[in-house]
Amino acid sequence: MSGVEAELRDAPRPSAWPVRRPGYRRFARRSPVTVIGAGLVLAVVLVALVAQIIAPYGPNSQDAQPLLRPDHRHLAGTDELGRDELSRLIYGARVSLYVGGLAVSIALACGATSGVLAGFYGGWVDNVTMRIMDVLFSFPAIVLAIAITSILRPSLTNAMIAIGIVYAPIFARIARGPTLAVVTLAYIEAARAVGLPNWKIMLRHVVPNVSAPLIVQTTVSLSTAILTEAALSFLGLGTQPPTASWGLMLSAARQYMLLDPWIAVLPGAAIALTVLGFNLLGDGLRDLLDPRIRTL
Amino acid sequence: MRYLARRLLWTLAALVGVSLLIFVLVRLIPGTIVEVTTGIEGQLSPQQRLDLLRSFGLDRPLPVQYALWLWNMLQGNFGWSFRTAQPVAGLLVSRLPITVELAVLTVICVTLIGLPLGVAASITRSVRLKTFVQVIGLVGLSVPNFWASIVLIIVASFAFHWFPALIFVTPWQDLPVNLEQMFLPVMSLALGLAAVVLRMTRSSMLEVLGQDYVRVAQAKGLSGSIVLLRHALRNALIPIVTVLGLQMGTLLGGVVITEQIFGLPGLGWTLLNGVYQRDYPVVQGAVMLFAVLFVLTNLFVDLTYTYLDPRIRYQ
Repeated sequence: MSGVEAELRDAPRPSAWPVRRPGYRRFARRSPVTVIGAGLVLAVVLVALVAQIIAPYGPNSQDAQPLLRPDHRHLAGTDELGRDELSRLIYGARVSLYVGGLAVSIALACGATSGVLAGFYGGWVDNVTMRIMDVLFSFPAIVLAIAITSILRPSLTNAMIAIGIVYAPIFARIARGPTLAVVTLAYIEAARAVGLPNWKIMLRHVVPNVSAPLIVQTTVSLSTAILTEAALSFLGLGTQPPTASWGLMLSAARQYMLLDPWIAVLPGAAIALTVLGFNLLGDGLRDLLDPRIRTL
Repeated sequence: MRYLARRLLWTLAALVGVSLLIFVLVRLIPGTIVEVTTGIEGQLSPQQRLDLLRSFGLDRPLPVQYALWLWNMLQGNFGWSFRTAQPVAGLLVSRLPITVELAVLTVICVTLIGLPLGVAASITRSVRLKTFVQVIGLVGLSVPNFWASIVLIIVASFAFHWFPALIFVTPWQDLPVNLEQMFLPVMSLALGLAAVVLRMTRSSMLEVLGQDYVRVAQAKGLSGSIVLLRHALRNALIPIVTVLGLQMGTLLGGVVITEQIFGLPGLGWTLLNGVYQRDYPVVQGAVMLFAVLFVLTNLFVDLTYTYLDPRIRYQ
């Protein structure tokens, strides 16, 4: 906090009215956990963005002995093919965020759109959409993702599509609820009376009402999507070698885990920290944007 | 009773939807079963190809194929494995107990860890215990279970010179050995779920403990543990059961990965091996069975509500 601000805050107040601090800052002070979450997420995003600059070696360059212990040249040691583990961890952040981000975008685009449409039009549109979502909900998420990737052939893109499909129903349910509540309100009727086309009513008057829970769910889903990508890659059904992906690195390290525990522990720690960051941020955003929802 | 009938009908409808989706997914695989099995090298005359197609029933219209497939499944015929030519149903049934044992042991373990810690965190005044429980809750939520498995194996082998067994022993053969084999897989699965249960128990208990009836129970002189268990915990249990039910999908998904890591030849292991070997009848059957298990557990969770809270009488 700058000196001027501190002075302003500590200055005697002229009236009985309390000076209101900006909500976000007060929130940050009350919930340091959210700040830690945001920090973790920011750090991972930053690492992914500047991977080329900060990685000491290329992600796939084999210029050292395999399975080296950490030393000053290879801070995290080397993997089973003599690639620098730290560089691969850094590049792995890219894959995780890329796949997780695009998968959640697919889920958000498909899910939220169908949820809003279902809630807005009601009737058979609602029935058909929600029954499809119920069917998708009847599978354990990973099992459905495994089934989809195995049929589309395992690859990074197909893992992304599979994760997107698997998580779409959550967004549909979350978008539908507030839409149902809003469509009966007077201002929607007014917008209709004025002659606004349906798509404009949805975009301008319905979507703003569903955005808060959707933002929260997006953050939480990012953590589950990153976990699912790691799990699929771990099983050999997601990102394919030689791309550096945390799940894939973990799966390769499995064979050497008793020889060289480092390479089996570090990728998992990277996944856990990233997921933890998104979880903390999601919890905090929920408190901030939607205090009615009870946190788990 | 009315509710039960409707809920059952609903479950059935969901399963029909599931089977339809699986059917469509399998038809999306490029090439027919004939090409997949015979491979590219297979030199077949058009007549042989047609015969093969007919023997699989693939020459009929899709709706007929679907109806036949569903009808066969209802009679316990899940088709034959491409690789071993054995009936898929028999294979799946022989694998099912391992998965069920793993899942049930995990739920027991989760309850034994999550509930007491959650209750303790809700009534304790010790900051250290509260922080400990909170940290466990957060870590458990973020650690992927496959990583937990690996770390557990590393720790067990370095600290206790324990290694995962190569051959699975059923509980009927040797119960102690079986439980020893199950210990690490169950722990790796329980960690994440226990975190969820723990967090929910804590927040649900805190809410219930502030209610008037708890104060009344305390005021009329009931002992602390009776108030805690009979008045508070019982009422706090409903949201806890709800989250536990919601986590069943995570549990069943985790089972797939855990079985693979620890080499437990259960349903998930079978599913993955089917995927790796492109053995679609096995994949199809295993996915279907997973969905059935999931839907049935959800049904079971719904029905426990009425037991936990007799006020809930679904109309």
